[in-house]
Amino acid sequence: MLFPTIEFGIFFLVVFTASWAMRAVPELRKLFLLGASYFFYGWWDWRFLGLLFVSTLINYLAGLALARSQREGLRKFIVGVAVVAGLAILGFFKYYGFFLTSLAVLLETAGLERDLPFMQVILPVGISFFTFQGISYVVDVYRGHVRAERSLPNVMLYISFFPQLVAGPIVRAADFLPQLHKTVSLTRAHIGVGVVLILSGLLKKMVVANYLATELVDPVFFDPTAVGALDLLIGIYGYAIQIYCDFSGYSDIAIGVAALLGYRFLENFDQPYRASSLQDFWRRWHISLSTWLRDYLYVPLGGNRHGEAKTYRNLFLTMFLGGIWHGAAWTFVFWGAFHGTMLAVERYARRQIEFFAPASTAPGGIMSALGNGTQHLVGIVWTFHLVCFAWIFFRADSFATAASYLAGFVRWGEASQYVTPFMVGLIAIAMLFQFTPRHLGRWLARGVQHLPGPLLGLLLGGGIWLIWAIAPEGVAPFIYFQF
Amino acid sequence: MLDLLHEIERELGGHPEELNEAERLDALESRRNVMRMLQALALTSLFLLVFSSERLLTWVNGFEVGPVQDAVVSASTAWHDAMSEAGLTGPARSMRGEVDEFRATDWAEIRHLIERESTRTREGVRLLRGAVSDRQG
Repeated sequence: MLFPTIEFGIFFLVVFTASWAMRAVPELRKLFLLGASYFFYGWWDWRFLGLLFVSTLINYLAGLALARSQREGLRKFIVGVAVVAGLAILGFFKYYGFFLTSLAVLLETAGLERDLPFMQVILPVGISFFTFQGISYVVDVYRGHVRAERSLPNVMLYISFFPQLVAGPIVRAADFLPQLHKTVSLTRAHIGVGVVLILSGLLKKMVVANYLATELVDPVFFDPTAVGALDLLIGIYGYAIQIYCDFSGYSDIAIGVAALLGYRFLENFDQPYRASSLQDFWRRWHISLSTWLRDYLYVPLGGNRHGEAKTYRNLFLTMFLGGIWHGAAWTFVFWGAFHGTMLAVERYARRQIEFFAPASTAPGGIMSALGNGTQHLVGIVWTFHLVCFAWIFFRADSFATAASYLAGFVRWGEASQYVTPFMVGLIAIAMLFQFTPRHLGRWLARGVQHLPGPLLGLLLGGGIWLIWAIAPEGVAPFIYFQF
Repeated sequence: MLDLLHEIERELGGHPEELNEAERLDALESRRNVMRMLQALALTSLFLLVFSSERLLTWVNGFEVGPVQDAVVSASTAWHDAMSEAGLTGPARSMRGEVDEFRATDWAEIRHLIERESTRTREGVRLLRGAVSDRQG
């Protein structure tokens, strides 16, 4: 069940009405939301409901065991077993085929061909997200950030809550579980935030991402050798906007739907293409994943606490593993490794600049302000192009496609086939929204939250009508569903 | 934008002795907001049923074949026909037409449009200058 469909609209109407009717009986409400979430997940493939339950049960039992044990060694063992079990399930479903194919190629190269136990393994939707949420729960209990839950349904609801189940945002146990112990309320702010985010998410996904995908990005990436450099350049700018609108659109709808049910998720995107460095970019892009990687991978690896060399290693490893998390393909491995390397290079360069040309603390004049502005602008343009370069590998189905894409940048003489005023207009408008005031959404939500019911209905109905009227036919799946 | 929700949660914190009263008010406020949102959702559904009946038809046409599904399809078709006859699907069609026209626009047309606009501006400026000098004269 995809968010921008009539099925989901009906599902949400039922869930909204019934769940608020049960507000006075919180335990029943949670059970109802849990049932709705399992129904939502089963709509894709009911066979994986068991997997979702087993994954949750492992984490729930590990949490209980952690609460009962005092010995540090035993606690480490329990958390280790739970994390390894979660990663083993993820590894089997996501990387089994990739691992065996890579092994077969390696053995063939070494002249040691063998019959390997290949299997057709179906990737359960959302497995990367619910596995990471499970790990977050166990580690947060281990670290004392959250108490072990006695109630299995609470842990089940935390891991399977339908707005975030299949493509995030990755919700932390310490953020969500305490909300399950409070009486849930629907305030004017929840309505304002929910309506604005749902409309903006639908617009981003159904109009911007879908048009860019079907009329520019897909044809250009299908055969990069058949188009000129201008198509390739605008094609990758288009993909940068498409993946942003696709994924942040999904996150917006998820956060908006959760808000209308009375729950708060954290922000997942913050105008990422206005970042003036890669470090800044990762503070704005897929925030729930980058903070997850920071807290559960980079910090346990030692973070920046053991000298420069180990900091660079940790940065690289974190991004490298982040790349593998995205998908079982060498192009994702390269994407992660590239980001890790560039983050390390950026950190090194920044330290060298600080050493040789320390920033002045004295108030500067107009020239100094101009200099800083120019530096910031150059940083934004440079970062955007670094990110776009990496997106080529992220989007390409193989290294060969990525290589032919890059090789095509010499063909400036060829006429463009896909760069139309409509495509350029979509990209330009979407880029413009990266530079609007940060609180634009907040102002809009404040305006919407005080509207009376009928006006709110007209706004929501009119907004969805307009989006349906201008969006292309059909609903393309969200890019992050494959992860 | 999500800090709005944090602010509300802080406000709901309150002092322990005020909690019962706060909870009662909170329940009342929640009930009011749920009713407001339900009203909005009902109106949204009605709005879309009336003005976007084509989407509804596309959706039901994707159903599997069966007696219930067939009845739903024929009811939706009748509904869509009625909305079309009343001219209520026209705005969506004309909006789509505008978008399709823009999608089909090429760079030569944009260049032509810019030239036409700049000629019109120049003409306007010339006329305005003429009018000013006439009055002065």
